[in-house]
Amino acid sequence: MTGPQRDRLAAAQAELLRALLADGDVPEGFDAERVRIERRALLNKRRGIVEMLRPEVAVELGDRFRPLFDAYAKEHPKEVGTRFREDAARFAEWATARGELQPPRRRRWWRRAT
Amino acid sequence: MEKLGVGIGWRPEIDLTVERLPGIDFVEVVAENLHVGHLPESVLLLRERGVPVLPHAVSLSLGGAEPVDAQRVAHLGALAEALDAPLVSDHVCFVRAGGLDSGHLMPLPRTRDALDVLVANVKATQQDLPVPLALENVAALLDWPDGELTEGQFLAELVDRTDCHLLVDVANLYANARNLGTDVARFLDEIPLERLAYVHVAGGEEHQGVYHDTHAHAVRPEVLDVLAQLRARVDPPGVLLERDDDYPADAELADELAAIRAVLG
Repeated sequence: MTGPQRDRLAAAQAELLRALLADGDVPEGFDAERVRIERRALLNKRRGIVEMLRPEVAVELGDRFRPLFDAYAKEHPKEVGTRFREDAARFAEWATARGELQPPRRRRWWRRAT
Repeated sequence: MEKLGVGIGWRPEIDLTVERLPGIDFVEVVAENLHVGHLPESVLLLRERGVPVLPHAVSLSLGGAEPVDAQRVAHLGALAEALDAPLVSDHVCFVRAGGLDSGHLMPLPRTRDALDVLVANVKATQQDLPVPLALENVAALLDWPDGELTEGQFLAELVDRTDCHLLVDVANLYANARNLGTDVARFLDEIPLERLAYVHVAGGEEHQGVYHDTHAHAVRPEVLDVLAQLRARVDPPGVLLERDDDYPADAELADELAAIRAVLG
């Protein structure tokens, strides 16, 4: 049985991911500079995937895309079960709610009004 | 192990390139990106030509504290059967913990606790897979404190206790040598090379004194040197080039494959 090992490992891994993704404290024994580098690498990867999935959002935000996404990411660490498309959609909604992005138009010109 | 030869990671962005590159003996697909019911035409074409297609998973989180998600294992197994693959693979890592998803392959603490959990997860996974499982060493930017084993010892014991195969990524080994001080020669001496399924080669870049395994840059000579050190000990059944972003011209990928073949001799 691996119950006790699992419990200890779960606590340690969760603490590390909180430090890397959710602005948690650097866990004891880790090199703070390496945690900072890893944090940035994970953020760059996540931002790059969102940019690839929703290029129009990145284009519209221009220079604001990076700082805005990084602020969003710190507030909304990617949770288990969240797909990258959902992550990208939530960021767009978040930026729209803050007035940084134009709200999507509800009716397209080619659609018939109902 | 079955002889695989020299291959390249199949990606939708370079599907035509992979089809027309000469001398591709096998390919690998990212398991999570394919659906068993509608496989890409390019992948089916390669299968028709008799090219082995190996599913490579990135999300089982075998080193995670939670038991492995049966649905992810079922998908990997179904894909192996649909592709008639000789084996499948994932990584010695965790990707989820505490309700958070890192979106990346995170290194494990090299402790007895972590090894016990990994072994239990791997054994459970093997029971549900129709083909053998190979496990890959990952590249790390940071190291856990209080390691009780070297990476080579950790992998050797994993193989001993689970009978899994190894997928040795020489770029990841180089990254760990650079970033964590892993001793390449000792690593290669400690792992059971007779359980080697195949080898990964990839490119990366150095940024502020740390090597990042990007799969978006050219393969460095230092990585080919690690491949040469491995080749000096064993003739690997297969070697596969991974490129995941900033895809270069076909000729550049062909040159990288030629450089790999030159090392293999």
